Amino acid sequence: MTALLEAAGVVKRFGGLTAVDGVDIEVAPGEMVGLIGPNGSGKTTLFDCLSGIQSIDGGSVSFDGVDITRRRPHQVARLGMARTFQLIRVYRDLTVAENMELSTQWAEVGLRDLFRPAGAATRRKAGDLLEFLMLGPMRDEPAGTLSGGQRRLLEIGMALMSDPRLVLLDEATAGVNPSLVEDIKDRLRAVNSEQGVAFLLVEHNVQFVADLCERVVVLDAGSKLAEGTPSQIMDDPAVIEAYFGAAGRAHQTNAGANGTGAGP
Amino acid sequence: MNALKQALASGPGQVAIRAVVAVALVWLVVLPLLGASDSTLFTMTLMLTSVAVAINWNLTGGFTGYVDFGHAVWFGLGAYVTAILMSLQANSLSIGWPPVPAIVVGAVVAGVLAGLIGRVTMRLKGPYFSIAMLGTFVAVREIVRTWGGLTGGGVGLTLPPYLNRQLFYYVELALVVGLVVLVWWLRRTRFGAALVAIREDELGAQMRGISTTRLKVAVFSLAGASTGLFGGLWAYQNTFVDPDIAFTEVRTIDAIMGTLLGGLGTVAGPVVGSVGLYWLREVLWANLLDYHLVAQGVLLILIVLLMPRGIVGTFDRRGVSARHLWRLRRRHADDRSEEVTAP
Ligand SMILES: Nc1ncnc2c1ncn2[C@@H]1O[C@H](COP(=O)(O)OP(=O)(O)O)[C@@H](O)[C@H]1O
Ligand SMILES: [Mg+2]
Repeated sequence: MTALLEAAGVVKRFGGLTAVDGVDIEVAPGEMVGLIGPNGSGKTTLFDCLSGIQSIDGGSVSFDGVDITRRRPHQVARLGMARTFQLIRVYRDLTVAENMELSTQWAEVGLRDLFRPAGAATRRKAGDLLEFLMLGPMRDEPAGTLSGGQRRLLEIGMALMSDPRLVLLDEATAGVNPSLVEDIKDRLRAVNSEQGVAFLLVEHNVQFVADLCERVVVLDAGSKLAEGTPSQIMDDPAVIEAYFGAAGRAHQTNAGANGTGAGP
Repeated sequence: MNALKQALASGPGQVAIRAVVAVALVWLVVLPLLGASDSTLFTMTLMLTSVAVAINWNLTGGFTGYVDFGHAVWFGLGAYVTAILMSLQANSLSIGWPPVPAIVVGAVVAGVLAGLIGRVTMRLKGPYFSIAMLGTFVAVREIVRTWGGLTGGGVGLTLPPYLNRQLFYYVELALVVGLVVLVWWLRRTRFGAALVAIREDELGAQMRGISTTRLKVAVFSLAGASTGLFGGLWAYQNTFVDPDIAFTEVRTIDAIMGTLLGGLGTVAGPVVGSVGLYWLREVLWANLLDYHLVAQGVLLILIVLLMPRGIVGTFDRRGVSARHLWRLRRRHADDRSEEVTAP
């Protein structure tokens, strides 16, 4: 099967700092891939490169067979790649429902739709997703009044509104109520198996990644350090060294269950 | 406060607001028939003009978050195009255009130029856009002053007089009502919601598939055309234009102050605020002749401090406070994306 997302040799420099240093990453249609690494290892920057927010200094990115290396963010989104943001980006002065309704698949919004309110189907879909994310009662509140955890949920909802083929989740469960994290996990799994949506997810909660993904990629200092199944990764000495450092070596027996991934 | 907001948002509050709007409209329509003098009607027409400019400013500044410090440039352009077309002469014979096509062409020219200039200046983030528009305003005024063959230079142009104050008043009243309805409707469409999304988080909006460049330039051009239209109407009524009265920064300042007073990013805010400002100015002008500008400035500071979301924004939470808008602009400028401003 050909890859849905295929990035080869991606390089991103900020002045003298090479934040992403020749990373290859592939995601097959319907696959769930984890991306982990210490703070500052380049995960968010890699997402920015994949989604067209940052122009890259080397390598190429293709999505669904289309070269998107030089595409702009809204074009990438219209091809079916959605994402959430580590630094939350909801529209604070719009209502929760408006945030959702505005995040439909814009490739399908023609000039006439632009000058109409969101359609009934969109509103229903937004309502259903909000119910699931337990944001139903807040639908008419400005998104700025939500808690941090609720805003993350809203971002997940917004990403799912656009019928994406691939969703990049950047620490989507950070600050979310732990009981809800389990629900999110189930929902992501359901979206994945029922609609074949692929996920590439950055998570500090290693258990979350291990439960969802068959394959995990580890970044360290901008380069790919390891790649494999969650158990292979957890046993890889290089990963333990980089990810958990000296403290990790001492406590590696309990590192997997709730590792917070606090980097060096 | 919350209870008050709720009461106003529905039920009797809603009815009361509609009643006030209906009474105000009826009063505005019958005013000339009640024997209002020409000078009253002229003052009212000027007030309607400043209401319209504030509504247009709010489209880019309040809804979309692009705070324009040079919006009056479109007013001056509309005024000058109208004046030039209406006062054309060949061999000292007047071959001037009739007013309606001249005013319409003025609006179109202002709209097209706003689109072209916005395409460039709207790449700039946060405060840099505001400064660039101020620069545009000054540059255009000086070009008009220098380009004497066409514009009459510093001396200005005289238009054929036509002083039916009542007609002007009704035309502008109808246009302002139409403009309010247009903005009210736009805010309910995806287009309007997307404009607010651009204000809140342009990069986020792009990443969710919104072609932000096209939408923000489109609304900027629309606002420019509309302000140009009122500029043309003003030139015709004033029967005279020169660079300093057609291009005066006071129009931009009034639009911003009126919108702040009424409520940034709300539909009714610029209307309520500009009328309030006009009324205040009459009062202050009459009583504090020497200090009215100071008093006005102090008042504005008080408003921003005590009623940060403006009169309408206090009840309609769709608006945005000046402070929040400032914060959004700063964040916009700091946004680490390289793409947010690309074409
Ligand atoms: N816009 C930027 N300018 C300069 N340096 C940046 C920028 N964005 C990220 N970096 C740097 O790139 C490195 C990788 O950051 P990031 O991708 O956020 O890591 P992660 O998401 O894995 O924690 C860090 O050293 C960070 O400071
Ligand atoms: Mg990160």
